[in-house]
Parts: sequence; C-alpha cells; structure tokens
Amino acid sequence: MNTISIDFKPFIEWDNNPFILFDNQGKIAYLNDASEILLGYVSQKEIYDIAVAYAPQSFGSKTTVISLNYGLFTFHSITVGYEDEDYVSIRLYNAPKIKLRNDTEKNNLIKTDINTLLGANLALFQIKNKTPIHLFADQDLPKLMIDQNIFSKLLRKTLDAFKDSDSINISLKLIIGQYIIIDDKKEMIAQLRIFANTRDKDKDRHIESLASQTNTICYLGEYDVRLEIPLIKI
Amino acid sequence: MKTFYTSSDQIHDIIKSFNLTKGLFVSSIIIGEAHTGKKTLAKYIFPNAFMVSGANQKDVEDALNEHEEIIITDFHALSNKNTLNFDNKRVVATSDYVANPDAIDNMFAFIYDMPSLKERPEDMKYLKEIFTKKAKSTFMVEDMDLDIDNIVIDLSKNSKTLKRSIFLHILKLSLDHNEIEDLLYDYIYRNLDGNDGYREYLALYEKPLLKAGLKKFGSKLKLSQILGINRNTLRKKIHEYDID
Repeated sequence: MNTISIDFKPFIEWDNNPFILFDNQGKIAYLNDASEILLGYVSQKEIYDIAVAYAPQSFGSKTTVISLNYGLFTFHSITVGYEDEDYVSIRLYNAPKIKLRNDTEKNNLIKTDINTLLGANLALFQIKNKTPIHLFADQDLPKLMIDQNIFSKLLRKTLDAFKDSDSINISLKLIIGQYIIIDDKKEMIAQLRIFANTRDKDKDRHIESLASQTNTICYLGEYDVRLEIPLIKI
Repeated sequence: MKTFYTSSDQIHDIIKSFNLTKGLFVSSIIIGEAHTGKKTLAKYIFPNAFMVSGANQKDVEDALNEHEEIIITDFHALSNKNTLNFDNKRVVATSDYVANPDAIDNMFAFIYDMPSLKERPEDMKYLKEIFTKKAKSTFMVEDMDLDIDNIVIDLSKNSKTLKRSIFLHILKLSLDHNEIEDLLYDYIYRNLDGNDGYREYLALYEKPLLKAGLKKFGSKLKLSQILGINRNTLRKKIHEYDID
C-alpha cells in the first residue's frame, strides 16, 4: 500500500488524544485540537520536560505507562518519539472513563438518534431566542440507548445557559480513540460542545444532575459546556 | 385527520418542534391563556393519544399507568403533580397558567408558550370568518351582507369571546320586529319587579331609540321632526338618559 500521497495531518488534528511536536528549544512546532485544550491546564514546559524525560535512548519511539492528571484530563500512558535531533513528539493517551449505571435507569433507555433530540431542542430554543446558532453536527453518529426525557431536559437547560450570548457554536462529533466502560462494556463517546461569549451558570447544578442521570460526563467551562455522551448500544 | 389552521410563525415553530419529537418518549407542555387552541393543537399533533383532564387526579394517574401516549388537558387543575410518573411515556400537557415554574421546568423536557389570539391577528381573521359562516348558518341568514371588520370583538377569553361577539352581532342583525318584541317581552317578564318599573323598563326602548336617532340624523331638530315630538321634550329626554 502506497501511503506517501496521504496527508495524515487531519487525522491527528481530530484525534482526541493530545499530540504535540516540539523543536529542540522546547517550542511548539505543531499541536492538535486536543492539545490546545490540554495546554489550558498545564504549561507547555511541563509537557516538554516529560517528553524529554521519557524519550527513547535512540531514534524511534517509546511508550510508557504513566498516570498523569491535568484538570479534566487523565492519561494512562504516553508515547515519545524522534527521528532526528530537531523535533520530538509526545502523544498522551486519554484514560477510559468508567461509570456504572443502576438498573432503574436501564429500563428507561430507548434507542435514539441524538441528532433528532438535538434538532428538536434547537427548534424549541429558537422559538424563544433569536440568538444565531452555528451547528456542526455529525449526522452519521450511531443511535444510542438513552432516557430521552431526561436527556432532552439536559439539552434544554444547557442551551438556556447560552441564551444571552451574541451567537452560539455547537459541535457534535464522535470522539475518536476514546471509550467509556459502562457495565463492563466498552462504549464509544460522542461529544457535544456548546460555546459562546457568555454563559449563565445558575443552572449548573441542574445540568450536572441531569448529566449524571444519563451517564453523560459534563465539563462546565467559563464559556463552554462539553457533554461526553456514551453511545450505549442495546 | 384533524387540521389545525394557523398563520402564526410562533405556532408553526411549535408544530415543527413537536414533529421532531413525535416519535420520542418525552414530556411536553403547552402553556397559554384559555381558549387559544392548545388542546386542538395537541390533538392535531397526536390524534391517537388518550386524552384526560387534569381536573381529576385519579384519572390522570390511571391514564399514565395504562397508556403510552397521553394528552393531559388543564394540567394547572391537578391537585398533586409530584406523584405523576412520566417515565417512558409520550406526554403532552396543556395548562392555562403556571403556578410553580420550577416544578414545570423539572417535569417537562419541552415547554412551549402558546400566544394569545391578540398576538395572532391572522388567526383571529380566520376564526372570524369561520364563526361568521357558522353564525349565519345557525340563524339562517346566509345571504346577509356583512362587513366583518366592523364587528366589535371581545378577546378577553380568546376564541370563546370572539365567537360570542360574532354570534351576538349576527343574531342582532337577524332579528325582525316581532322577534325584538318577543325578546323584550321575555326579558321584561323575567325581570319586572319593584315600584318604578314603568320608567325603568321604558328606558329599554327609549334610550336606544334616542341614541340611534341622534347617530343617524345628527341634529336634535331633525330627530324631533322624525320622532314627531317637541324639541324641548327631546332635549329633556336626552338629558335624562345622559346621552351625548
């Protein structure tokens, strides 16, 4: 297979595992999207020092099992590699999140197209608010088992937190390379990220409670909310 | 299939959102003044849903146990909302008002506000036409020439008072001399009492006679000629009834 003509950069860009390329001065030569978020929680010097400390003795790569925690991020291992004296790369692997749900929740799970639920909630939001919405949603996400009623409430309250913003950006995508273990089953994760220039935090407690009831991991930032939704299969 | 006429963008948006959730097991509520079409809208979107009134708590609880798709009307009338379980049900409730917004916020995934008829002039025009047609048919005056824009409409109770205004207007126009006499007869028969009846009930006839005459002929001089009474008598009567 001839791979020379393939541009791999976008695939690294989309990867939810942070990937950073440093030059020999410790300056960043390249970083992907996930790394940009990570660097909000840790300095680039600290990551560079780790890369140097765990670099292989000679050219090539080395994977080391190491537990790292930075803010919302937890990593279970890293791969550090270099092919010459000029650049060194580090890739940090997100630790799988583990969550158990109880039996009563299971009974309420219904096979659902998450885009339908999101579409209905956006329609409701737009009846009451004129805030422009920029939506980038992966329409091919697999259906998931979810409590439709509680998840709709979660979407409504999350969207309401942005109603005073000038405009709202929403992305819905599959997180590549990351899974969550629920009841000993490995499930893929979809990420719904909503961000704007302001966010009302009054309903954060409700959002967290509703997220917890739907096995959703919720990150509440200053100007954004990220919901990591397990794509539970039947 | 039942139809729901509306020209309101807001209601079109509600229908659009409902159509997206039609197949989902979620709870929704439509909140708005009485007689704005909430129940009709719910029935239009979910024609096969079991319908129950919130006026009877037990009926609602039984319906939630037995049916998967339910319309609960008059949700505001429910005595205890906390005992209701909406899990895995498709529930659409209608409510004239919200006594406890937090409770509604926690119970329902989708909360819609139904605009009143005052906020929907196009819908009001459509309903006026419908009610006018029905009223003409009811009073057998299909050929009556009528400018519906001149009908004074009461919208205090939305479609209910709108309908009443139109029926009353057409009824008044359809009555002939004998029917007006009968009307007065019935009214006086039911109410005549006391010790000043003659003066009191004569006003029923005299006051509209003078008001209509003044409006039609403009001057008191002309009206006194038309009525065949003395100008001073007319002036005295106008003053007595406090007519401008």
